[in-house]
Amino acid sequence: FLGIHMEKKKTSLLKVILLGDGGVGKSSIMNRYVTNKFDAQLFHTIGVEFLNKDLEVDGRQVTLQIWDTAGQERFRSLRTPFYRGSDCCLLTFSVDDNQSFLNLGNWKKEFIYYADVKEPEKFPFVILGNKLDVVERQVSTEEAQQWCQENGDYPYYETSAKDAINVAVAFEEAVRRVLAIDERTDHFIPTDTVKLHRKPRSAATCCS
Amino acid sequence: MAELMSPDSRRCTYFFLYDESKVRGEGDPTREGICYFYPEETPVDKQELLCGQLAGVVQCVSELSSSPVCSLRLHRNTFAIRMRDNFFWALGCSVEVPTISICELLDQLINLFCFYNGSVRQSYQLNSRESLAARWAQYLSHLRSGSSELQHIFSCLRTIDSAKVDPLLLLKAALILQTCQRCPPVLAGCILFRGRVVSTQMSPKLTMKVMVHESETYTKAQRPNGPSTSSSFGSTVSSTAVFLTMSELQYLQSVPVDKDFSSHSTPHNDASPKKTRLSRTLSDMAFTVSDSFDPNSSWPPQKVSFSSCLSESDNLMFSPVPSQTTIATPHPPPQRLKPPSSNGKRSDEAEEESHYYSFHSEGGGDSWIHSEGDGSVFEENSHISGDGGDGDAACDRVFRFRGVESGNEESHDAHMVVRDRVGSEGAQGHKPEQEPPPHSGAFDGPEESTLIPMTLYLHRVKGLVLALLVEPHFLSDTASTEEVYYSSLASLNGLEAHLRAIFPGAPDSPDFYIFAHFDCIQSTLTTNLSGRPRGAPEHPFVRATSLLHLHFCNTETLQEAIIRSASSAVYGTRSVAQETYFQVHGGSLRNSGIPYYQDSAFSLPTKARHKLLKHGVHLF
Repeated sequence: FLGIHMEKKKTSLLKVILLGDGGVGKSSIMNRYVTNKFDAQLFHTIGVEFLNKDLEVDGRQVTLQIWDTAGQERFRSLRTPFYRGSDCCLLTFSVDDNQSFLNLGNWKKEFIYYADVKEPEKFPFVILGNKLDVVERQVSTEEAQQWCQENGDYPYYETSAKDAINVAVAFEEAVRRVLAIDERTDHFIPTDTVKLHRKPRSAATCCS
Repeated sequence: MAELMSPDSRRCTYFFLYDESKVRGEGDPTREGICYFYPEETPVDKQELLCGQLAGVVQCVSELSSSPVCSLRLHRNTFAIRMRDNFFWALGCSVEVPTISICELLDQLINLFCFYNGSVRQSYQLNSRESLAARWAQYLSHLRSGSSELQHIFSCLRTIDSAKVDPLLLLKAALILQTCQRCPPVLAGCILFRGRVVSTQMSPKLTMKVMVHESETYTKAQRPNGPSTSSSFGSTVSSTAVFLTMSELQYLQSVPVDKDFSSHSTPHNDASPKKTRLSRTLSDMAFTVSDSFDPNSSWPPQKVSFSSCLSESDNLMFSPVPSQTTIATPHPPPQRLKPPSSNGKRSDEAEEESHYYSFHSEGGGDSWIHSEGDGSVFEENSHISGDGGDGDAACDRVFRFRGVESGNEESHDAHMVVRDRVGSEGAQGHKPEQEPPPHSGAFDGPEESTLIPMTLYLHRVKGLVLALLVEPHFLSDTASTEEVYYSSLASLNGLEAHLRAIFPGAPDSPDFYIFAHFDCIQSTLTTNLSGRPRGAPEHPFVRATSLLHLHFCNTETLQEAIIRSASSAVYGTRSVAQETYFQVHGGSLRNSGIPYYQDSAFSLPTKARHKLLKHGVHLF
């Protein structure tokens, strides 16, 4: 065991939430990212679901808790109580469904209202245009980019959960946004993991 | 013997298993035959007294009446009696407990043992009495604990309070189970939250059996060293070997009909069929929470071909079974697909009827056969001559489980069994260590000889548990285990979060009435008594309910009854599928004593109809 430090490492738990119209592929995006699987026969999500994923972004250990929500209106009362405490919101639409794109603003409003966001203009949103694999698009890249710029200069990613395009990149960007905006240490909650690693070169921001 | 009884205990006072084959000669001490005796601290000579005398009385009565004895009523205790294979079981409860409940409790107990251990005779050939005594004690304590007296009376499933749960969450649970069933080795499952049923695809009796292991792993999970697992998914997943009866297996195999619908007939790239399916399910949900779901959903398979299962199993027991049968797929051949609309209704009625009769022991011998057929190890003998006609054709087709001979396999260490089976399957040979005689007639009755090894898979997310009955090879099939694990994980996380958000807090708003509503079909109890400290004002209600339940059971034509004392009155009503009991608190009853048309007790039926609507109970 020589040379190995037993260090009680603190991992930050980040809650990101996927919102958007029913059927745009929120569950598929989450499943693609966490399990690298795609199931064309998924049921509608009822209420909320979530998966955890450990990842390292820019030398920081992060546990990403990805909350997937039901897009249909009739599930609203089930999903909204779980918006609170989100660190980042991934607003999702489908590039082959113009209505889902037009609804982005409503989703943003719903999130800000129920998550009780104190400073909406500073909150990290990331916009995902999913189903890039579909041939017949209804929303152009330019339109989407323009919306993102006008609404708060949000990062925009065109993804395909089916073909595994840009999914991981988008989540990593979400993490970066959270870490960049929120450098405070109060996200760092101790977990019970004991890491058998050498001390990382970069000085951890957390105290041990 | 009466002084043995302790009058204080209202629940099970005595339970024992006596092996008559151990006591043959005059000189053989009775204690040789006592396999297990509860309470364990009872002095051995008293144990011998009770075992010997009860066995003697039963022997005598059954010879005189030339019919088996099911129960014995003594001064203070009623004993349920079961005999099989030279084994003699007796379970004694206070006479206040309905005899039917005691008999059901004993059957549950024995069936539990067989579910987790296989054949009783072989268990005792291969294991020490001490280790098996621990099992009996465990099952007994499970059946006695946790259930309120009302649940005890009805022998019902413990379910979550569906009045507090959004029906959509029940649908979510049902969909999780359906998703798991897309994986072929998965037969059926149930979802439990804090020891209560959220959704189940299995019969109430099978669900109850599964719940024992769930509560066991929950206790273990609380300790620092969690349950041992062979899984790569961490301590959240565990498994154990279990044994299904033929009828249970056939019953579960009616589910693949549904499986075919969900995974094969759904076009892969077209979302619309799913949509129709879901919305249909949703609209069905609108009625009442505890109602059946979609006709393709989890509940109905239970109702389908319930009675035919029985007849099939009768035939199967005596049909020559190729011992090396292997099945490539659990999907039934197409001819098994029956039009759900035409068949479903008929079978529903059949099952309702059978449940109905199960509470009417005096309705005739046949009734018991029906009610016990799906689980009991005893009753199968008696209905060998049952209606075999239409079962015949079906049995050959349904009978496709792997390795019938494994039913007799020496299999007591759960995890060992799994490994053994995995090994032999991998080697394609699948040779049992010993070649047991077909149906091993000398010792095992038909029911036990057809116990089929299966695996119970548990995936725990905090207080939420997904329990699946899977074919034994499932665990060695990485693709299947991953499919099941990953396709359900997110939904289980979500469901747990939803349910946890509902159930803490939420204190019961005090009602001015007490009710209990028993659904005989699903074996569920709805009541506003749960959660309150036991005893106090509800005790008269529980006693009255117990008494009325007994009357309903004994008198088929009785539909409504009011039972009253000077201070209170309890109204009971029943239909084929349900029993409902209702009492209004505190309201001073006028004119108690003499029958009088203005007696306020007579307003109870109307009050019950109105008040219980909000609990989803519809009285007509």
